[in-house]
Amino acid sequence: MSLELKHCPILIAIALAAFLVLPSISLATEVLIFAIIALGCSILLGYAGLLSFGQAIFFGLGAYVASLSQIHLGVNFLVGLLIATAAGATVAALVGALAIRRQGIYFVMLTLAFTQLAFFVSYTLDEWTGGDNGLLDVPRNSVDIFGFEIAIDSSEKFYAFVAISFVLIFLGMIRITHSQFGRTLLAIKQNEERATALGYSVKWYKVLAFIFSGSITAYAGGMYALFLNFAPLSNVELIMSEHILIMAIIGGTGNVYGAVLGSLFLVVVGDMLSAFWERWLFLLGGILILTVFYMRGGLISGLYGVFEFLSQKFGSASTQKES
Amino acid sequence: MELFFFQLLNGLGLGVIYFLLSVGLTITFGLLNFVNFAHGAFYMVGAYVTFVIVSLTGNFWLALLIAPLVIGTLAIALEQSVVKFSYVLEHKYQILVTLGVALMLQELVIMIWGPIGKNVSPPSSLAGIIEIGDFIYPKYRAFVIAFSALIAIVVWWGLEKTKFGALVRAGSENAQMVGLLGVNITRLFSITFGLGGLLAGLAGVLAAPLRGADPFMGVEALGIAFIVVVIGGMGSFLGALVGGLVVGVMQSVMSSVWPEGASLMVYAAMAAVILSRPRGLFGRA
Repeated sequence: MSLELKHCPILIAIALAAFLVLPSISLATEVLIFAIIALGCSILLGYAGLLSFGQAIFFGLGAYVASLSQIHLGVNFLVGLLIATAAGATVAALVGALAIRRQGIYFVMLTLAFTQLAFFVSYTLDEWTGGDNGLLDVPRNSVDIFGFEIAIDSSEKFYAFVAISFVLIFLGMIRITHSQFGRTLLAIKQNEERATALGYSVKWYKVLAFIFSGSITAYAGGMYALFLNFAPLSNVELIMSEHILIMAIIGGTGNVYGAVLGSLFLVVVGDMLSAFWERWLFLLGGILILTVFYMRGGLISGLYGVFEFLSQKFGSASTQKES
Repeated sequence: MELFFFQLLNGLGLGVIYFLLSVGLTITFGLLNFVNFAHGAFYMVGAYVTFVIVSLTGNFWLALLIAPLVIGTLAIALEQSVVKFSYVLEHKYQILVTLGVALMLQELVIMIWGPIGKNVSPPSSLAGIIEIGDFIYPKYRAFVIAFSALIAIVVWWGLEKTKFGALVRAGSENAQMVGLLGVNITRLFSITFGLGGLLAGLAGVLAAPLRGADPFMGVEALGIAFIVVVIGGMGSFLGALVGGLVVGVMQSVMSSVWPEGASLMVYAAMAAVILSRPRGLFGRA
């Protein structure tokens, strides 16, 4: 349990700090939701070494399923999110199992083709998804347990729910990445042939990574639809996949806190810049290039660099390193 | 029957543009083993340069001459300043770098011309229609088919019959060996990259009067180019030609039967080809 004991306070502190420091509660909500989504991408890219353009599939799917199950089945929001998560896991298993049959550029192309397929399927099924207009009036059906009604009808309550989800999902993923499973993924990423030779079923590990990634992304996608009360078609666009990738890479993959930094950077800087400069994505493209050339570990590695520099300078043994 | 023939011709017109769009992507992949996610942006900028030249001078032919050269120069400049430093990196980092370049070009275009598309009118000499008996067809589309076929022949000749083409083909087999034989391989790389950009820019010029110029056409074109290259086989000239025509005709014929399904089908075909036959129709194993 020591792992959870160590990380739980940090995660709670992040959720509280986002609430207190950021200018608006909706911005803080968005940061935490996208932190989960960037984490989903980071598990594939940072641990399994899989560059996938497929994250928008799970994101959009989660948003649609969480919304549609509430609208048509009348389930409460929590059950809706769980159904979305299950759907995300199922589709991720399918997409993953097919995509990992090819490697390198062909793998990337397959994930790209699947995202485009998901987009055009969503577009075609406009009776369900609302097509181009998106799915409007997404409810947040309250939970009713033995007469106690739990509703997330205010933005504060919704933030509390997102924050709890954030802490639990991050703890779960920290546990998983520190387990033998996470270590094996890293081994596969470093040298796939060696991992195979050692007798690991590389395919299963990769599919499992897809399932973890897809399910948390779908859960977060569902939360995002509840947050906006709206599930736009742009959720399943290729551009969404690109943004998720950029977020994860700028933050730094291979470390769960990189996802938080990436989300924080894109959501907050994006919000600040877009107020007076709409074309700030121009800057983002440049930052992406610089990150690949000069800071492959992303912002989180830069942060660790600063920590290390400080701890060397002041010779303190109690480094703040949190990995 | 007549409608079918009309759609078939339209598909051919679309297909030859797709060929021009994709041939640079497939050759740079073959030679440099390099995946360029900014390739669609060359097509888009080509359409915008056409818009500028046509609205300034009213002369489409000038655009047809100048715009591809502008895009070729842009491609070489990008290769020299950014792209060549990523040749040594893994594929996934090349993808990310060129993704960054594509994003920057797209945003730059929006900064200059705004997010809403621009219309480009075809040259007045090609404005009307051709009548062959009962059959009528827009002159401009007929011109696109004929002109692109000519360019396809020129590209084929360049690849098969010139020394430069021989170097490109040899480099696709083994770039290191060609370098050891005393060929300046880095220069060969950047010229090929530039020519690939030039052809994508040309595709943008030809497409501009048909579909206008808008900032997001690059992303769309990149998707199409990937489909073509995958179906035809990566690194193959013939693959780009046949793949382009197949995708163009498929989209055009489907669009009269089931419009939403047209894109669905081509991406499904792309996934099916990668899964069942990754080297495509004409690619090497």
